[in-house]
Amino acid sequence: MKESVVRLSSLSFQYEDGKKILDHINFNMEKGDFVGLVGPNGSGKSTLMKLILGLLPPKEGTVELFGTPVQKFRDWTKIGYVAQQAAHGTGGFPATVKEVVASGLVGKVGLFRRLKREHYEKVAEVVKRVGLGEKLNDRIGKLSGGQLQRVFIARALVADPELLILDEPTVGVDQESIEQFYGLLRSLKEENELTMMIVSHDVGVMTQWVNKVACLQRGLHFHGTADEFAHNQDKILQSMYGDAIRVLAHHH
Amino acid sequence: MLADWWQYDFLRYTLFSGILIGLICPILGTFLIVRRLSMMADGLSHVTLSGVAAGMLLSKKIAFFGAVNPLFFGMLFSVVGSLFIERLRKVYKAYQDLAIPIILSAGLGLFTVLVSIADGFNTDLYSYLFGKIVTVSREDLYALIGVGAVVLGTVFFLYKELFAVSFDEEHARVSGVARKTINLWFMVLVALTIAASMRIVGVLLISAMITIPVAASLQIAGSFRQAILYATIFAEISVLSGLYFAYLLDWASGGTIVLMAVLVLMVVLASKKTGAWIRRMREENRA
Repeated sequence: MKESVVRLSSLSFQYEDGKKILDHINFNMEKGDFVGLVGPNGSGKSTLMKLILGLLPPKEGTVELFGTPVQKFRDWTKIGYVAQQAAHGTGGFPATVKEVVASGLVGKVGLFRRLKREHYEKVAEVVKRVGLGEKLNDRIGKLSGGQLQRVFIARALVADPELLILDEPTVGVDQESIEQFYGLLRSLKEENELTMMIVSHDVGVMTQWVNKVACLQRGLHFHGTADEFAHNQDKILQSMYGDAIRVLAHHH
Repeated sequence: MLADWWQYDFLRYTLFSGILIGLICPILGTFLIVRRLSMMADGLSHVTLSGVAAGMLLSKKIAFFGAVNPLFFGMLFSVVGSLFIERLRKVYKAYQDLAIPIILSAGLGLFTVLVSIADGFNTDLYSYLFGKIVTVSREDLYALIGVGAVVLGTVFFLYKELFAVSFDEEHARVSGVARKTINLWFMVLVALTIAASMRIVGVLLISAMITIPVAASLQIAGSFRQAILYATIFAEISVLSGLYFAYLLDWASGGTIVLMAVLVLMVVLASKKTGAWIRRMREENRA
């Protein structure tokens, strides 16, 4: 049996207003998985993400990262995180690609230690890997949405994480860049033996690239391989969204 | 004229204090502004003012406090104010900037009450409000050197943490950065800097030293390090020229320094615009 990277057991969550966001989620993600987490707006995707990242404390049930309960987990450099681009709003920040990517090393290098030449060499290497080598010293304000998203991926990768979590990474990115983006993710995954979880509401595109799919609508409506999902897609989505849904398939 | 600055102690103290302020205010200011907390300095400066008034009141009523520099009460109040702002920012998560006007009004309210209880002060409050060269003492300079050393040490050793938290607080937290401690310590440093700088620039104008040089620098900086470097250069130009003219013309030092900073900002803005215009003309000629 492969090593468990993320394990959620009977996980429920409600905010202080009493509204239940997540209901008895059981979920296991193993080393090497590329999981797509899908669900409509307000389905609890972001809350689940925050619980996995330790940004919210689990109140009912457990969250385990690499076999350790999230409350006791300290090895955060094992996890790379790319937030929703819309949430960044960092275009006007006076920083270069190099400075932003280097900030991904802050947890790994440790308190009171300064970044050295080898750290910046690693930054340059990762920036080149995501295809932005020539932009290393450019201000991030000069980049396009797709390029900026790759900067954030480089920041998440620079500390050599084992698990990469991406929250709606393609929002605001044009169609061509989305294709390149998923291609990049797949090659990064293969090169670095990464385990990945990608959260998206764009079911059509994302499920063609991942090998496992989890469908969330308060509870887990489906959890299985991408092939199983493709065979039962209409049924699964109708159980999540109701009968009003019409599935529009993308072909690439 | 220039020889006076070496001849008289108070002018030497003023000069060294000014150089230090020109160094630490824009460094902290760069971090504050990119985090959209530029009004923080204004809020804390008013709290500092109430601390100074409390110090003066105590020294008037109780002989023991007569020997204590009111500046230290200003520092104490400012630090407590910064802790309150951090607390209020958590209470009003969706309206984080609300914390600043609350603290600002509380500081000013307390100040006016303390002044009325004391029935006025003999000391020249005007100098605390707007800065005055002749009022800088050796003790003020030492306080500023102490604060400056802590600020520079912190920025040197915690630069990457401060950058990470300023750029993307949530990501810094996920990366394992002690975000709360860093934020708290940073606010304390801002509070101490404001209190220590008020003799030169004045409580009401200190926020200008923290923001205007950075505003100029953000126009031309190509990186975060450059933003800090240029802001420091602009602040030093403003402080040194401001002090010179304030002494020459017998103007309030704080006001003169701030006017110089505004002048530098305008020159930067005009140069940028002219540069863009020249580039456009060249391109049109080539086409």
